[in-house]
Amino acid sequence: MKIKVYIDKFKESKIVDCESIKEIIKKLNLNLEEFIIVKNGELITENTKLKDKDEIKFLSVMSGG
Amino acid sequence: MVCSRCKTRPVIKLPNSAVSLCKSCFIKYFEKKVRRTIREYNMITKGEVIAVGVSGGKDSLTTLHILNQIVKQQRTTKILAIAINEGIHGYRDKTLDNAVKYCDKNGIKLHIYSFEEEFGYSLDKAIKKLKLNPCSICGVFRRYLLNQKAKELKVDKLATGHNLDDEAQSIIMNFFKNSTETSARLGPVTGIKLDKGFIQRVKPLYFLTEKEVMTYAFLKGLNEELNECPYATESLRNDVKEMLNEFNIKYPATKYSVINSFLDILPLLKEKYKNNKLKYCKYCGEPASNETCQACEYVGMLK
Repeated sequence: MKIKVYIDKFKESKIVDCESIKEIIKKLNLNLEEFIIVKNGELITENTKLKDKDEIKFLSVMSGG
Repeated sequence: MVCSRCKTRPVIKLPNSAVSLCKSCFIKYFEKKVRRTIREYNMITKGEVIAVGVSGGKDSLTTLHILNQIVKQQRTTKILAIAINEGIHGYRDKTLDNAVKYCDKNGIKLHIYSFEEEFGYSLDKAIKKLKLNPCSICGVFRRYLLNQKAKELKVDKLATGHNLDDEAQSIIMNFFKNSTETSARLGPVTGIKLDKGFIQRVKPLYFLTEKEVMTYAFLKGLNEELNECPYATESLRNDVKEMLNEFNIKYPATKYSVINSFLDILPLLKEKYKNNKLKYCKYCGEPASNETCQACEYVGMLK
């Protein structure tokens, strides 16, 4: 599947060829402690199933205070 | 995978457990945990005036949001917000804007003070002159102003948005820097020592992880997409944060263990350092560990 992934921390989007969110995390070397995951404006868990052409956002949980 | 409580679509898998929760069950879980922390540590007493230190980021707005709910129920307790504008170009203006909007919408009085007006230098200008770690200057000036202004505003407690991750980082940083005495001043409630110079500080989000706070803020529409502080990557805190997050993925519950083992030894640390007398700065009269407080030291160096 081709999934469009946006990572707000790096302000970049990329297309990732993968079958699951866990695969995206592994391929992009992301740490799940540092992100929440959003699909179509809704919060999802890392176990949510994906469909071809889904768009996923990884929003950084960090803030400077 | 479904919500462990009501079998609907989950939005988060809780850290350190196999429990997944949907939006409504997570919000209940989160608010209950904050309320329990407030109750167990006597963070709010009826009739008090509570100030919330706000930056406009997710942690402080979440703290303000939940405390405002509690205050509305209690009626006798009052709430206000204090924001500090450090003068960080392209960062703080945006977060302060969030704080202003939230407070306007919810009828909360917001008091804003700036480094520029209070010390004569914004953080951006101060670090050009002092060549010190920005986070050190920022932390000292910010804590100084929050305490001083909270006293001027005659509040009983100052609530901050520190979460479990922030505290775990501080504990580890103090170990790395051999600053155990500084750790004796951490914990869910600080400044317990009845001292006219200190406003007691409370941390209602103490037992919630940064990810849980972000999840709550997202679900409640309290987070705006914000940049990270431009100086954040320059700090020891940032390195410790990354280290703890990597550890937590490999060994789940690491952060909880740091907090829980620290809370076990905290009474011993407090006992050990209880006789260290607090001094007052000879220039400004604020609490200090030496004759001059660190803020006045920096102001002197800036002149």
